[in-house]
Amino acid sequence: MKEGEALRSVTKQITQEAISEYAEASGDMNPIHVDQEFAARSQFGGTIAHGMMVAASVSEMMSAEFGTDWVESGRLKLRFRAPVYPGSDVTAYGQVKRVRAADGSSEIVCSVGVRNESGEDAVTGEATVKTEAAS
Amino acid sequence: MSVDFVTLETGQELSDKSYVLDAQTVERYIGAVGDGSGIYQPADDRPVVPAMAVAALGLRGIVADLGIPEGTVHAGQELEFSAAVRVGDALRCRAVLSQNAVRGETRLVSLRLMVEDGAGRQVMTGKTTLLMVLHTPSGAAHT
Repeated sequence: MKEGEALRSVTKQITQEAISEYAEASGDMNPIHVDQEFAARSQFGGTIAHGMMVAASVSEMMSAEFGTDWVESGRLKLRFRAPVYPGSDVTAYGQVKRVRAADGSSEIVCSVGVRNESGEDAVTGEATVKTEAAS
Repeated sequence: MSVDFVTLETGQELSDKSYVLDAQTVERYIGAVGDGSGIYQPADDRPVVPAMAVAALGLRGIVADLGIPEGTVHAGQELEFSAAVRVGDALRCRAVLSQNAVRGETRLVSLRLMVEDGAGRQVMTGKTTLLMVLHTPSGAAHT
């Protein structure tokens, strides 16, 4: 991959059903994610997705792009900037910032994020992966 | 279990859990996040587990141990994956407090995460940053 090249984005809809399933799977049953009445009284005004659930779409994008290199050498640094509400369409996106050759492999540094349908960033950060094939 | 964050000191171990990553748990996670990357191949003898599943499922015991208070915001997450994890692997997940500071009306808590496989090989490390609102009349957590 070359500097400036965009990663293949991943778009999905975040549903309350998926949030509840994620809560069960992750063990994070915080009521802000699964209790409509509680969440309505919170500063968010309704239930929101888990930050790690939203971040999973970044990792999915990196896995789709780099395969097992991502699970064996990936580094991810993310900031959660805005809540994601059920019914939102979110898109994980990324762009190659730097490519460094080292020890017969390439280290690829990407700026990454997740934005909602309004274009607002819910998550921003950086992902780094080592690949065997120099690009 | 719930932790009193006021009394915690940096370097303190907050959680130490071991478990076996079974297919049912991984597939439930994949179903929830809708991972279509193709990294998980259920027909394989011991499928590779999506990286974020290792993180999320590793955090599972930590979430239970900490009893995250209302008003908590998950502000940041760092992860470093160093080896593939496969279905059936035994994992040990530990969390150590790396920062515990009060800034105005907020407590800033950082946890260092370490996940090892059954052979003691490090497969993931990370850092979770949480912001806990100290006074929150209608507070709620965003984790």
